[in-house]
Amino acid sequence: MTEPGGAVDVVLVDDHHMFRAGVKASLDERVHVVGEADTVDSAIALVRELQPPVVLLDVHLPGGDGGGGAEVIRACVDLLGTTRFLALSVSDASEDVVAVIRAGARGYVTKAIDGPALSDAVRRVAGGDAVFSPRLAGFVLDAFGAAAGDVATGDDELDRLSAREREVMRLIARGYSYREVAAELFISIKTVETHVSAVLRKLQLSSRHELTRWAAARRLL
Amino acid sequence: MSPIAPVAPRARLPLRRPERGRWLAGVAVGLAAHLDLPVGWVRLGFVLLAPFGGVGIFLYGFWWLAVPVGDPADAASATRPAALARLSRPQTADEPGRRWPVTDVAVGALLVLLAVVLVAVRADRVQLDWVLPSLIVLAGLGLAWSQLDAAQRGRLRRRAGGRTPVSVLRLLGGVILAGVGVLLLVAQANGEGVEPAALVQSIVASVAVLGGVALVLTPWWLRLVRELGDERAARARESERADIAAHLHDSVLQTLALIRSRADDPAEVARMARAQERELREWLYDDRPAPGTSVAAALRGIVAEVEDSRSGPSGDPVAIETVVVGDHVPDASTEALLQATREALVNAVVHGRPPVSLYLEVGPRMVEVFVRDHGDGFDLDAVGPDRFGVRESIIGRVRRRGGEATVDCRPGRGTEVHLTVPVGEDDGDAPTSEGADERTSDD
Repeated sequence: MTEPGGAVDVVLVDDHHMFRAGVKASLDERVHVVGEADTVDSAIALVRELQPPVVLLDVHLPGGDGGGGAEVIRACVDLLGTTRFLALSVSDASEDVVAVIRAGARGYVTKAIDGPALSDAVRRVAGGDAVFSPRLAGFVLDAFGAAAGDVATGDDELDRLSAREREVMRLIARGYSYREVAAELFISIKTVETHVSAVLRKLQLSSRHELTRWAAARRLL
Repeated sequence: MSPIAPVAPRARLPLRRPERGRWLAGVAVGLAAHLDLPVGWVRLGFVLLAPFGGVGIFLYGFWWLAVPVGDPADAASATRPAALARLSRPQTADEPGRRWPVTDVAVGALLVLLAVVLVAVRADRVQLDWVLPSLIVLAGLGLAWSQLDAAQRGRLRRRAGGRTPVSVLRLLGGVILAGVGVLLLVAQANGEGVEPAALVQSIVASVAVLGGVALVLTPWWLRLVRELGDERAARARESERADIAAHLHDSVLQTLALIRSRADDPAEVARMARAQERELREWLYDDRPAPGTSVAAALRGIVAEVEDSRSGPSGDPVAIETVVVGDHVPDASTEALLQATREALVNAVVHGRPPVSLYLEVGPRMVEVFVRDHGDGFDLDAVGPDRFGVRESIIGRVRRRGGEATVDCRPGRGTEVHLTVPVGEDDGDAPTSEGADERTSDD
């Protein structure tokens, strides 16, 4: 864990040298890149060696068994308590998103994200929270059938979103930051983070058949 | 004059029977294209050769059977690397062929032949014992060899949507007919009349020989089939690679060249990069729905148009973060909604402040759109009646379809335009209602 004032140590995994350089330049002083890797195998070795609080992980990586970022996470599954993975990808394809999230990533952002927002996301993931991009929120709403009014009544349901979670997801999909979501719903940012983490858990554990189908297509189950 | 314009004058075109410009079966036209001769000479050659023991007719028949149908120019381009063929397709004029009704002519000729034979039999000039088996053999041969006419087989296959049993039946029928004919002939040659015992014996013997030969030839035939399959797969892979190469060439390379030449104009470079990214992304990740079947696709089109044509207040291009949940078949209501969305997007890009977000959600009863930017917004009541844009093109449009339009601006929190239109539940062709059913079915 990191102290509130100190910089968060991050391992950056991406197979494009230019992109790694760009990310390193755009991150602000709250984030410190301690290592870089460009293949599945080197990433697993590096993460096991350094055990950083946060790993910025590209979804598509060469090497290993061809499983990309999801394979890295699965190989480090025993570290998930202390090391968190934030997926970073150019891909919008839902199967890519689902693959890494279900493998255990704490969030998914697209590479179009700007430096300060990425630094925020890294710190949020380091603090144990989940990071949802608008597109991931839209995907969650789609996959859980929330747009069709399919809303959970109890807290323990894994296959549907609660009304409040749906509200939060819709606001994120509309481009609201966590702070703006909190202001809009008259709740604290902490509560927003709780809701988002709950949605992430559902996304990882749910057996809704859309998710199951995608996961099965990628042989994740 | 040759109707086929030679594409590459030096290279010889392969021998094919083209569909265009043929009189009978396209042999003369194909030969003319292959030898680079005027087609008239070739035809004259066939006619002149015909009296010499039917050499002309025999040659024509041989090539008819042996040469596949096809356009020589196409066949030539197919042998070039596919990547080149995709990028530059030769332009050939489409000239409707002068075709003789071959089938009708053949049937007529057959009837005439039959009549001649009958007359000959009547006049006791020919023995029926020899004629009948010969005709049966000929019919069998014709049936089996007619398979070679690849064009017709292709047409049949296309009509049936796959492998047709017709070709198999034809081959089987041809083999049986020819076999029966040959047996009859052999029996005829052996002695007087056909003896059942001798017939059975010869059938058994010939089947045994055929079986032995088949056993010997099977490995060779299997290898041929496998090699053909391999070659087809390789060709398919190459054509896919060529597709990708052509796409990259048409879009990405062009854009990169443009970007390099306009490197001093950052706004324009950013806009081109964004447009290219969007196009490539669509090409790689989206399963493109047919036009006019998807509100989501129409929305993406609108976003692309606004991103390409409008700039922010400072002249920079503005990217619109688009999230779509669900989809619907377009109707008049969603059309109005999309038009209003376009106006709202233009407003957000031109007068607002980035980032601009767009969210479309298709529910069971309504379609909702949120357009959000981080500008200071505007007071709707303070908007003058001359600002036709917001009042009429956004709000009026949606309200006429029974929808709602609200503009929410709060200082420091940006501006959000919220549009909803109801969509008919009863017109059951909406893909979302289907999707919703599917989603709830497991609960």
